[in-house]
This record gives sequence, structure tokens and C-alpha cells, in this order.
Amino acid sequence: MIRNYLNKNPHFIYIMPAIILLGILTLIPTIFLYFISMTDYELGSPSFNFVWFDNYTRLLLESDEFWHSLRISVFFSVIVTSIQLVLGFFLAKLLDRPMRFKFLVFACLIIPIAMTPSITGQIWKLMLNAEYGVINYLLSSLTGLKVIWLSTENAFLSTMLVDIWQNTPFVALIIYAGLKSLPEDPYEAAVMDGASKFQLFRHITLPLLKPIILLAIIFRLIDSLRTFDIPFSLTQGGPGNATEFLSLHIYRLGFAQTGWIGRASATSVILLIITTVISLILIRMLRKGVQDTE
Amino acid sequence: MSLVNIKSIMINNLFRLLIILVCALCAFPLFWMLIVSLKSGVLILDPSVWFFTPTLENYQDAFFYRNILDYIKNSFIVVVITTFFSILIGGMAAYGFARFNFKKREDTAFWILSLRMLPPLATVIPFFVMAHLLKVLDTHIVLIICYMLFNIPFTIWMMRGFFEEIPEEIEEAAFIDGCSRFQVFIKIVLPLAIPGLIATGIFCIINSWNEFVFALFLTSSDAITLPTTVTLFLSISGVAWGEMSAVGVITVIPVLIFAMLVQKYMIRGLTFGGVK
Repeated sequence: MIRNYLNKNPHFIYIMPAIILLGILTLIPTIFLYFISMTDYELGSPSFNFVWFDNYTRLLLESDEFWHSLRISVFFSVIVTSIQLVLGFFLAKLLDRPMRFKFLVFACLIIPIAMTPSITGQIWKLMLNAEYGVINYLLSSLTGLKVIWLSTENAFLSTMLVDIWQNTPFVALIIYAGLKSLPEDPYEAAVMDGASKFQLFRHITLPLLKPIILLAIIFRLIDSLRTFDIPFSLTQGGPGNATEFLSLHIYRLGFAQTGWIGRASATSVILLIITTVISLILIRMLRKGVQDTE
Repeated sequence: MSLVNIKSIMINNLFRLLIILVCALCAFPLFWMLIVSLKSGVLILDPSVWFFTPTLENYQDAFFYRNILDYIKNSFIVVVITTFFSILIGGMAAYGFARFNFKKREDTAFWILSLRMLPPLATVIPFFVMAHLLKVLDTHIVLIICYMLFNIPFTIWMMRGFFEEIPEEIEEAAFIDGCSRFQVFIKIVLPLAIPGLIATGIFCIINSWNEFVFALFLTSSDAITLPTTVTLFLSISGVAWGEMSAVGVITVIPVLIFAMLVQKYMIRGLTFGGVK
């Protein structure tokens, strides 16, 4: 019987190891996460009680800190993604010109993308240091100004700055690949009809680039929403909770100070739901777009 | 005419300048980390000094006092084993997705893609508690299993594209010669897919080498990897900058070398094979 099934479904042998492994690795932990989120399990405590939805009600109704984290996380990802799209587009345009040593330019652009993110956060912490940092040194010798980059007021902006530094090349490379693959015919036809540069961009380039831009948005929105490495090594969510994004909030609840794994799990479930919903919507848009063009 | 010429030359030079500026901005943090790691003592706290006699003190300290060799060893073990199994399991599945038409194929493929979107902070908690209960916290095997969670989906999507680029006619010719599907896969498809396999493997290496969240939560001393060295330097802000940079350089250089090797496939790798 099994033999018969395999003969009818020859793909089975190839994909099953991966599917079973990934299924186990996601299903069991997810169920376990929901389970823990309904308990009052604490780090190091031998027993726990079921509290059902207490963690959730406490989170959603009583915790200002949770709402603060959610707010700054969403704000952070929307702003950072938009800035990176705009800058990335201009950078891609700039790259899409004949030039010498192009491979060297690309090598430089790859540095921020490939560098270990936790180390990136750390080196920026060093560079942004108010007294001994190189950025304030350069800034003050040029303008006489000194900025306390990682203060309560500026830490959020500094985190955005580092994220923009890290990911603008990523967006630029994707859009550059898109620009490269654009056909020339529609442009020639439109120029013959007397279209302006802006019209070309608005009515030809943008629609053709739509799937690529969508792809960049998917990756950037999700990745910035779940960001952890860089804020962890740059600010650790501080000063106060100025840069305590959702992931860092989970870290602080569950591991750093209190060890409330139950409550941290409830927060994780919410983060999981948000990212899942957003990625489902965006992936559906992407699949629809791909089908339309085929 | 000449005025137009001058204008276009000026614009060209302006663009060139902009590109150089962007490159400098991208490379500067790496450059600065290198500089600081080669400075000694008081010089570290003086950003106005750009020329000095370099010293390897910081690197020596990193190796002698911070046991960096242990971190390197752990990173190496975890990365090599994860990459091997991810390529093996993911590569097979990728071939299945590339060459067979089956019900729900695209739905399954996109489910696999959606695993890429899982927030690590959400998955790490159950893994942490389970590993704690099974008494396997702080072992290589936990990290290896967790890293497969993101490396297998990546391999499937990347390799699927590479397999689809191999013309099907070659395989059909081999079928006529009496080869079975599996023989064709091993003897004909895999050798043709070697550049893709290498590129995919290198991306798996980069991703696992850079991974921070799982390493931070699931290891503490025996299996601790290089990115977690940042925790050594969280509290001491001013004093250990030299060592901190030296450790940073040691962590980052291998990744950058690998990244340069796959420059050609960079966009493809960054988008899960989505942009070729």
C-alpha cells in the first residue's frame, strides 16, 4: 500500500524529511508557547498554575509598558521601512549607471548587510558614545555641536539611524535588480508619445517594479518588527524604556529581570500573531501579483 | 554644445562623488572597529588619533582572557553541522518542489516561506523551556536543531530556483537511458547544481554564524557562540573597547569573506531566491 502511494506521489520521498522536520520544529513549540502563555510559570520555580487568560488580560488591559512597546515597534518599522524604500530607490538609480569598479561598490554595500548584527550594534554604541565616540568628534570638529546620541530623547532616533544604515543597501540591491530587469520597449513608446520623466516613473517604472517593491516591504516590515539584535547591543531597550521594542520587552519580562516566562509567552503570542497576519497579507498580495503578470 | 558637455560631466562627477560617499558610509563602522582594535590603552578613548603604531595587544587579551578560541570552536561546530544537514534535507525537498507537480505544492512552499517570518523571540521561549526540561540547554545539538528551522526553508527556496534552471531535457535523456529518478538526481542534477549548492551553503553559513537570539538564550558557557560575546561588554562601557573591537573583528571577518564570495548571488540569497 505504501509502495502504491509512493508510486503515485513520487515527490513524497523528496519533500517529506523536510516537511516532517519543519512541522515538528514549528508545531510543537507553538502549541507549547500557547500552553505556557496560560500559566504563571516563572524561571527557576519548580511548579506552576494555570491562570488561563490572566496573562493576556493583564497585558492588554493593565500594562502600559506593553502598549508602549507595541506602539514604538509599529512606529519604528513603518518609518524605517519607508525611509529605506525612498533612499534605497535613489541609491539603486545611482547604481544603475555605467561605472568602473562596480564590484568594489557592491562589496562596500554588502558590508552592512552581512556584518553580524549584534556586533554592528556594539560598534555603533562605541561610535555614538557622547564623549569618546568618533561621530561626535567628527561632528564637533565640523560644526562645533555635540549630540548625546543615546540619551532618552535621542536613543530611538539613533536606533532608527543604525537600522537605516544596515538595511538601505539591502533595499537598494533588490530594487537595483528590479531596474536591471525592466524592458526597454514601453519606455521608448512612451517617450515617442511625449511622456515626461515623472510620468515615465509613475506609469511605467512603478507598476513594473511593484512585485519587487512588495518583496522589499515584506522583508523589511517583518524584520524591523521583530528586531532584537541591534537594539539589544546598542541600548538594551534603554534608557528607561525608550527603545524597548516588543522583542526587548519579552526579553525583559521573561529573562532579564523578572523571569516571568508565562507573561513573556503571552507577549510573544501577540508578536507572533501580528507578524503572521502581516506576512500572510503581504505574501498573498505578492502571490496575486505574480499570478497576474504570468 | 560645450556647455551641455560641461553640465553632463559635472553631473557625472556629482553622481560619482555620491557613490563614493555611500561606500565610505557603509564601510566606515568596519574600518573604525579595525582602527580601535589596533589601538592601545589611552589612545582608544581619543577619536582624534588616526595614525599610530598598531598593536595586537587587544587580540592577545581577547584570546587569553576572554577564551575567544572556545567561542570560535563552538561557532564552527554549530555552523558546519547545521549547514550540512540543511543542504541535505532542504536540497532534496527543493528538488521535489522543482520537478514534481503535486496538489497544494505552492501552498506548502509558501507555508515554508512563512517560517522565515517567525519572530525568533517568540520561538525561543518554548525551545528554552523544552530544552530546560530535557536538560539539553547549553549543548551544540539544541542550537543545530534551532538553526535548521531557518536554514532548511532558506535552502528549499534557494535550491528550488537553481534546480528549475537546469533544463529538463537533460534529465529526460537520462530516463530514456534507463536511469531511475533518484539516480538522475544524484548523478546528473546534483553535479550541475554545484554552484547553487555552494552559494546556498555559504548563505547558510553566514546566517548561522550571525545568529544571536537562539545563541543568547539557549547557551551559557559550553556551547556559546561568537555573536554572544556582546554580553561580555554590556556593562563595562569605557574600559574594554579595544578588546570589544578585536572580538568584533574576529567575528565579522569570516562572514565578510564568505559574503564577498557569493557577491554574485547576494540579491538572490537575501530575497530567499525571490529576485534572480
